[in-house]
Amino acid sequence: MSGQQIEHLVSMANQIALNFGEKRNLTEAARKTGEHLEKFWTRAMREKLSIEAADSEVPLSPAVNLMLEQQRGQIGS
Amino acid sequence: MLQYYEPEKDYGTPPVQSSEMVSANIDGVFIEVPAGTSIMRAAALVGIKVPKLCATDSIDAFGSCRICLVEIEGRRGYPASCTTPVEEGMQVQTQTPKLAKIRNGVMELYISDHPLDCLTCPTNGDCELQDTAGEVGLREVRYGFEGENHLAAEKDESNPYFTFDPSKCIVCSRCVRACEETQGTFALTIEGRGFDSKVSAGGVDFLNSECVSCGACVDACPTATLTENSIIEHGKPEHTVLTTCAYCGVGCGFRAELKGEQVVRMTPWKEGKANEGHACVKGRFAFGYATHPDRITSPMIRDSIDEPWRKVSWDQAVNFAAQRFRKIQQEYGRNSIGAISSSRCTNEEVYLIQKLVRAGFGNNNVDTCARVCHSPTGFGLKTTLGESAGTQTFASVAKTDVAIVMGANPTEAHPVFASRLKRRLREGAKLIVIDPRKIELVSSPHIRADYHLPVNPGANVALLNALAHVIVTENLHDAEFIDQRCESEAFSEWQAFIADDSQSPESLEQATGVDPQALREAARLYASAPNGAIYYGLGVTEHSQGSTAVMGIANLAMLTGNLGREGVGVNPMRGQNNVQGSCDMGSFPHELPGYRHLSDAATRALFEAEWQVDLDPEPGMRIPNMFDAAVDGQFRGLYCQGEDVAQSDPNTHHIEAALGALDCLVVQDIFLNETAKFAHVFLPGASFLEKDGTFINAERRISSVRKVMSPLSGKADWEATMAFANALGCDMNYQHPSEIMDEIAKLTPTFHGVSYSLLDELGSIQWPCNELAPEGTPTMHVDEFVRGKGYFAVTEFVPTEERANKRFPLLLTTGRILSQYNVGAQTRRTENSTWHEEDLLEIHSHDAQERGINEGDWVGIQSRVGTTVLHAHISDRVKPGVIYTTFHHPVSGANVVTTDNSDWATNCPEYKVTAVQVSKVNEPSAWQARQQKFDRRQHQLLKQATEDA
Repeated sequence: MSGQQIEHLVSMANQIALNFGEKRNLTEAARKTGEHLEKFWTRAMREKLSIEAADSEVPLSPAVNLMLEQQRGQIGS
Repeated sequence: MLQYYEPEKDYGTPPVQSSEMVSANIDGVFIEVPAGTSIMRAAALVGIKVPKLCATDSIDAFGSCRICLVEIEGRRGYPASCTTPVEEGMQVQTQTPKLAKIRNGVMELYISDHPLDCLTCPTNGDCELQDTAGEVGLREVRYGFEGENHLAAEKDESNPYFTFDPSKCIVCSRCVRACEETQGTFALTIEGRGFDSKVSAGGVDFLNSECVSCGACVDACPTATLTENSIIEHGKPEHTVLTTCAYCGVGCGFRAELKGEQVVRMTPWKEGKANEGHACVKGRFAFGYATHPDRITSPMIRDSIDEPWRKVSWDQAVNFAAQRFRKIQQEYGRNSIGAISSSRCTNEEVYLIQKLVRAGFGNNNVDTCARVCHSPTGFGLKTTLGESAGTQTFASVAKTDVAIVMGANPTEAHPVFASRLKRRLREGAKLIVIDPRKIELVSSPHIRADYHLPVNPGANVALLNALAHVIVTENLHDAEFIDQRCESEAFSEWQAFIADDSQSPESLEQATGVDPQALREAARLYASAPNGAIYYGLGVTEHSQGSTAVMGIANLAMLTGNLGREGVGVNPMRGQNNVQGSCDMGSFPHELPGYRHLSDAATRALFEAEWQVDLDPEPGMRIPNMFDAAVDGQFRGLYCQGEDVAQSDPNTHHIEAALGALDCLVVQDIFLNETAKFAHVFLPGASFLEKDGTFINAERRISSVRKVMSPLSGKADWEATMAFANALGCDMNYQHPSEIMDEIAKLTPTFHGVSYSLLDELGSIQWPCNELAPEGTPTMHVDEFVRGKGYFAVTEFVPTEERANKRFPLLLTTGRILSQYNVGAQTRRTENSTWHEEDLLEIHSHDAQERGINEGDWVGIQSRVGTTVLHAHISDRVKPGVIYTTFHHPVSGANVVTTDNSDWATNCPEYKVTAVQVSKVNEPSAWQARQQKFDRRQHQLLKQATEDA
């Protein structure tokens, strides 16, 4: 998994969150971002984002961060 | 069944729409026609042919030739039947001794100044003048032929497709009127008076005139004055086949006119509902690529792209590809291969590709080139209205009062629709153009946009929000429509968002670059129109917020109640011929045909039962995901049908790296395109003339594509895909594309009623076509939206990350030109290159002057990802700070500079915004030098292709 791809994935996820109104409603944007990724991204891409986001030089946006936290919470619960 | 060649029936004058009917008697035959119908047309409708010369049913009556005179009981004189409407109770005679004498006398005058070379004339047997002389019984010309005449007038052979021979002209003005009324270009005129009157292309030859070579004048000409060069060379066709153009998303119906299997002419089909007898220079004339010597007609394989090709049998080629693909999957997993289909191919072909991927590859890694053009349309319209398609017919524009054209350039990219639009504008409809560039519609003969809003590249959403803000805050919205037809909660949320002062034209001026006052006036104009329609193109979709902009457009239409009837609507101008169809056919990695998501178990079960496989419920890779994964080594096998990703996709360096990393690239195409130079297997494709199938245009209109010549490679594309599938163990056994359509119809609710027999019966069908709409659906969302209530999506403006700065101070945007099509693979192999030999860089004089750039200079265009070099064209069509180019030639490398940025929702590339610097240079770029070397090498390897024993 190259650095280029994870950064690309993070950047795309951040854009999705921003366009789902991250600045207006963080929780809603996180929910919609999660649904969007579920609907349009491959499982491998979602897993990479979840597992390797921390390695990305591009920081996760707050909504993507929240979405991943919630997903991890669900998996953990 | 083949049809003997016959010219299409000409009713003399156009049809009239009227609810009032009038009846009369013509030559003893009772007729009833809509009020306003001419006597000539009424007669033709019951099979009575009134001789005529200056009349034809594609243009308004003119009444100049004095041949079509009739006698009407109780009326003095001999009125022209073309200009005289039928009146209730009228008694008409079209053949009397007096009329015969008058017609004979008139014909004598015409023929006295016409060459008597019928037997050697190119239109011998297909000439209205010749026919009319026969009909009136002309036997002599009493005036002789020695007097003053035009017989020595010189031919104009400047146009590569047709010849103008003024010696044969009868000055009926049909060509002039066709240019005005049908095409709307006004390139032709009648110059001089009396005997000196002559048709003129504005005092210059046709090639150097304003003529756009649409062929309308040639179609209208009743003599051999304007004749296709192909007819001059080959003679009259002997049979015809109805088919559909394979160029843009207008999807014009054509009559392919043939001698044996040789196409000698393509003429626009009058009954074709998309084009109603009109065409453009591409569809009408640029079909020669189909038999160009560059066509590759043998399957070929090679182990590495550094080796010469080996010509092999179809079986060898597909088995080679299948073994490679299976080996890759064994080593790297099920998801390591995928396919890309093309909007240039038929529905049946793209359907088979996605079936092959889902059922044969066992994954959902299928995507189509709509990814890089109109995928945001699918997402945006599905979200807001419930269906991923335009809402209208093209004919609907005839009832439009205000048209918004946004990010589209119809006169270049969708010329036949542009002619319809221009006709409506000449009738008084208003026009708002939203485009960074002064497209032709902003100001051209007889057309001037009421408002041109020159939005900054990347600021479409800001501009759409500002328009909506004005409409909402000035209370111009259609509250009743919104209340009845739209989700109230979503509307309330959106209303609060859009009414905020941050969305005003003034607040957003810095982003949009548009005068707030002009924007406010434009918003009022659209909102106050009885019928307002929005037409948009890739200038909307190919942005980081392409999907948001599409939703903004749908919001505007719902806000003003401009949906659900003729004259209004949201109209995506699809780029290629079958963009709509390729999307409809389930070519995206997340959905099955009919836009049904893979996660829907019930839908999946339908396909699983039909195909006898288990389907993966997870979305597959999109095109950019495939390339990213290829660079990373996880994606290693690609089947690419009819799409030249190496030229058309953004960030060429990245694409080339991805293609170069593949273990097996299978390319199916008619030429060795840029992508094929990286291929290991070449499956020779078939042009649209070589196969049966269907295309779906921007109106959702399904039209038949019919085989007019045998596939040069021995297989149509659907047969090649089937062979590949069978080699992979994915059984496919269709005998004809109609069987594939039957399967599509069986599995897809919006296509349940579609069949080849219904297409033959109706000519074309706009989906949905099913139990609820057995003959199709011309206008969508009439009583309710497909999703039920319309959804106002909040469209927050998020500026693109691709911003101009000190290092890259200019914004590059891209577009098309009339004579070329997409990557140019087809049109560059025709005489269309006469008009566009190379892609140029348009730059404003201010920006040019600052950089010391003069017209024609080599200029380097450098972006954050690459550099290319083009010749400069200084133009005020672009504003300072914006530059523009086309992408029709591989060597131009327009996509060497475009970036990986893409639409947030769909990954449609942001072709329309690239921050660049431009400087004067002396030579092509390093990439261009490499590209040319690679191109030469690959052609050498093609020449060295060996025949396998």
